[in-house]
Amino acid sequence: MDNSSGRLLFNNAGRLPFRRYLSLTRGGILESLTYRTGLFLNLLGNLVYMIVMFFLWRAIYASSPSTIVNGMTFRDTLVYLTMAGAIFSTLEVYLVWKMGRDIQSGQISLYFTKPMDFFLREFFYVSGNVVIQLFLTLVPTLLIVCIFTGWSIPLGWNLLFFTASLFLALLLNFSIDFIVGTLCLYTQSFWGINMVKEVIILLLSGATVPIAFFPDTFRTVVLYLPFQAIYNVPLQILVSHTYTWADYARGLGVQLFWVVVLVAAGRLFFRQSSKIITVNGG
Amino acid sequence: MGSIIEMDNVSKVFRVLNRHPGFKGTVSDLFSRDYKNIEAVSHISMAIEEGEMVGYLGPNGAGKSTTIKMMTGILEPTDGRILVNGRVPYENRTQNAQNIGVVFGQRTQLWWSLPVIESFRILKEMYSIPDSVYKNNMAMFDQLVGVSELYNKPVRQMSLGQRTLCDILASFLHDPRVVFLDEPTIGLDVSMKSKIRDLISVLNREKNTTVVLTTHDMGDVEALCKRIMIVDHGKLIYDDSIQQLKQFFGSYRTLKILMPGDAQITDEKMEKYRNDLLAQCPDSQNVVFGTDEEWLTILVPEDQVPLMNILSGMQTILPIKDMRIEEISTESVIRKIYEGDERIPQPVERTGAAAGEAAGG
Repeated sequence: MDNSSGRLLFNNAGRLPFRRYLSLTRGGILESLTYRTGLFLNLLGNLVYMIVMFFLWRAIYASSPSTIVNGMTFRDTLVYLTMAGAIFSTLEVYLVWKMGRDIQSGQISLYFTKPMDFFLREFFYVSGNVVIQLFLTLVPTLLIVCIFTGWSIPLGWNLLFFTASLFLALLLNFSIDFIVGTLCLYTQSFWGINMVKEVIILLLSGATVPIAFFPDTFRTVVLYLPFQAIYNVPLQILVSHTYTWADYARGLGVQLFWVVVLVAAGRLFFRQSSKIITVNGG
Repeated sequence: MGSIIEMDNVSKVFRVLNRHPGFKGTVSDLFSRDYKNIEAVSHISMAIEEGEMVGYLGPNGAGKSTTIKMMTGILEPTDGRILVNGRVPYENRTQNAQNIGVVFGQRTQLWWSLPVIESFRILKEMYSIPDSVYKNNMAMFDQLVGVSELYNKPVRQMSLGQRTLCDILASFLHDPRVVFLDEPTIGLDVSMKSKIRDLISVLNREKNTTVVLTTHDMGDVEALCKRIMIVDHGKLIYDDSIQQLKQFFGSYRTLKILMPGDAQITDEKMEKYRNDLLAQCPDSQNVVFGTDEEWLTILVPEDQVPLMNILSGMQTILPIKDMRIEEISTESVIRKIYEGDERIPQPVERTGAAAGEAAGG
């Protein structure tokens, strides 16, 4: 068995042109656009979430003696959380749901008869929805935040690094979903484990509460976990006025490290687990 | 030239949990180590030549789908060796997939919410189909079944028949050398069934594509396949031409006689008829008497004695009010094989062996 991590990461991808996979992105985009109502409801949901966040955090800041809590002003916090919500909408691809359903229905065995690597197949398929959300949620939200906060977000190189960081965050979030989705092969149900995953990621990544607000020890632990690389890193790159080149490099480096680890882990785990299908029936 | 599909002594054993009924049983199952082995496929060997169209039959749970899944690389055999296009399917899944097409009648490979033409476009990229091949095939499909009017219809709005049609076309789009059709006509009406049979038959002929077809529907097999394999309890119990099977059973016909009055047909009476008939017609020693409600039934092996001789003999023995002659349908042949009728040659070692035994029958 050739289990080198290089082969795990680029298995088949080197041999097969990526063009094959891009057609899935296109299909995913078309599919997302078919469900227009869903897209608009999603926007509405985000708006409601923002309003709740606004009043919640206004109350928190009102109860504090100073206008700066944990180094963040009310405006900083609001910008951070609004952008976190937009990133969540972009990165949430419901892969666990999809894999869970495909496993329960046995549809997954059909994918094994296609000349494609399963990991890449799923990635390119969900990427269609990411592209749509990127242009319908993330970019508009970014513009709205800029306009309403008087251009509080720095506009410069950070936008370029943010884009790269967002792509790595997508890979990270996807890999975690892929691992959890693979777990469905053992559990045959996905609702419960998906909830657990969701809560863990949203809390530990700094998506619902900025990591600056965490107690010291907890924060130290969280910074060593992969979850903060999904939300905290790209958000800091985006909103920070004080980041140096070294900070950008460190942020992206940490993300890259976790991407390599989790992609390899996900692929290895799936390859081992798919024996449940190939050995014990689909 | 070697066979396109070779299976050599292939077995597949599933290990399943022994489940217990009731709430208590379900809870204890969570910690149970009580497994049992189920042999879904047992020592099957076969060879299928390029361009052949083979019907693979068997009752539910006989191991048909398991065999197909092993050929397509979804399942790994527990034992034995499979080669498709000279490759081991489950070891070279991606390369194998490039050369096969698959339709599972219960599922669809089409994109549910998109117009069906998008699925074809995606498949074109997925299999790296050259433009010219894609164009030719699409033109051919349109000529065959007039599919172009469906192009812009989302798959979810299609009827089951339209969807199956498109699914089959999709599986032939990349010019695969082997196509596996797992119950393609399930749930379709008669006219759609015949349309789909015509389509499969033309595609097989035009492209010399090898087709392996599993089905419950004898009509499919009779319309499409020259060769059939019958599997039951995981074992291959018949592998020969459909002609052979029909010839063998075609040589049997049942003569049914209704007598006037409503006298009971007793065993003694039947024994008497039998002896009387034997006196008139000495070749009739293998004729089998029986009853079917008020009818007297006589199973006649026509390779030994013409049915007409029996009929004229019986006319002198008893009064006849009404009579019928019934062929044994292929369906009941299969049923008889399932039920383990000892007159049928089984199990089959190799193609040809069945013919010899059947003649000796």
